[in-house]
Amino acid sequence: MSVTPPCIVVEQLHYRYPGDQVALDKVSFEIAPGESVGLVGPNGAGKTTLFLCLAGVLARHGGRLQVAGLDPGEREQRRQLPAQVGIVFQNSDDQLISPTVLEDVAFGPLNLGLPVAEARQRAVAALERVGLAGFEQRTPLHLSGGEKRRAALAGVLAMQPEILLLDEPSIHLDPRGRREFIKLINSLAVTKIIAAHDLELILQTCRRALVLDHGRLIADGRARTLLADAALMEAHGLEVPHSLSHHAEGNRHHDV
Amino acid sequence: MRARLTTLPTPDSWIARRDPRWRLAALALFTLVIVCLQTWQAAAVACTLALVLALVARLPGRWLLARLAIVVPFIGLFALWLLFLGPAPTWTWGPMRLSQPGLAAALLLCFKAAALLTVVLVGLATAPLPQTLAAAHALRVPGLLVQVTLLAYRYVLLFVQEWRRVRIALRTRGYHRHTGLQGYRTLGHVAGTMLVRSYERAERVTQAMQCRGFDGRLRTLAVFGTSAADVVLFVAVTAGALGMGVWDWLLR
Repeated sequence: MSVTPPCIVVEQLHYRYPGDQVALDKVSFEIAPGESVGLVGPNGAGKTTLFLCLAGVLARHGGRLQVAGLDPGEREQRRQLPAQVGIVFQNSDDQLISPTVLEDVAFGPLNLGLPVAEARQRAVAALERVGLAGFEQRTPLHLSGGEKRRAALAGVLAMQPEILLLDEPSIHLDPRGRREFIKLINSLAVTKIIAAHDLELILQTCRRALVLDHGRLIADGRARTLLADAALMEAHGLEVPHSLSHHAEGNRHHDV
Repeated sequence: MRARLTTLPTPDSWIARRDPRWRLAALALFTLVIVCLQTWQAAAVACTLALVLALVARLPGRWLLARLAIVVPFIGLFALWLLFLGPAPTWTWGPMRLSQPGLAAALLLCFKAAALLTVVLVGLATAPLPQTLAAAHALRVPGLLVQVTLLAYRYVLLFVQEWRRVRIALRTRGYHRHTGLQGYRTLGHVAGTMLVRSYERAERVTQAMQCRGFDGRLRTLAVFGTSAADVVLFVAVTAGALGMGVWDWLLR
């Protein structure tokens, strides 16, 4: 029986901000292709930093990383990462940089060196995929929070990445927008890591969860089990999601 | 009538349908000639031609006038002094002496400012900005400059939106344009906060661009193609501009 090699390998990953503030402290985990993993933790836990390290934007200070078979630490391999790893940032306004939605969604494919016609085709298809067909000439300034979020996702999907990193995807979404976004995430057959405070969203999109706090990986296990662990959740600034609160009593957490 | 910082109108017109490269090249030449004019008569003709261009481009009248109403009176304020401080010969009405060359210089200044602004607005409002900037890039304007302009256009509007939110937050906490020391201190704090936020946003935007494979080179969806009508526009505007320039030279 052949074993599928992991899509993401993180070994003893270490990152510190200027001033020696440790953001990631010897974090280790592996993610299999097609897996959907929730990343939870309080503010300042290191979730966004981990994403930026995986995408090769921040250079690690220790440990080993392999993302889609590439090492973000190697200059040549890092250049190939945008085609493999897509991040949807917490604030969509940081990501929507072009004056029109179509130009923005095509920004990534054009940077990959695709011909204009193919980049346009991919952008149009991605907009259709996220339900924004007809928004091509709209300016990001005039989109609602949910529309901005979907436009940002379209910009990443147009690059057809193997791995999708979603940072707080439900922020600024109203209940209907959130519901539709969850449906959209679940329909994407790629490897996903979803960082969120919205633990109900994690339950609806991920089977596995990682708990990160003060840059350390505290727990790694089945999402339903970890998120129902009241002691674990409370100890790390989180709350048992409402849908699991009746399971919470008596559960024990799975330490790494 | 107030000019608000907002997205550019791009009305459909014969000029708007032309290849942005030809249009931009023609308008750039027109602008250059206007800058070189030295007689008020030629400047008046340039202003008229620029307004005709704006008319053909079907720019919204109120939008254009709102912008002219900011620049022209401002220039006029400086030009006014030339009437009183200019050299002889002068007209004399009682105690008041008005310089004739001063009046000519003031008119020249005002007409040139109005003509230049109108031509620039025609250039900006006849195509979406990314297309105009892509055309500029095709005409050898450095990619970095084009990229910075695009980002500035996108984020200035966002900055204004943020400023409006901050202003509302200030008002809800009882701040109403106090001009005393406390008022200025508050404004200073707000300006500092906005500056730091903008700096942080710039970092995040850079990271987001890197994640989408940005390597410093400008790439856009714009595809250009030249038609006979594009050449007609270029020749017509260039001929008008050069004719005006020659007439100006003869008038000196």
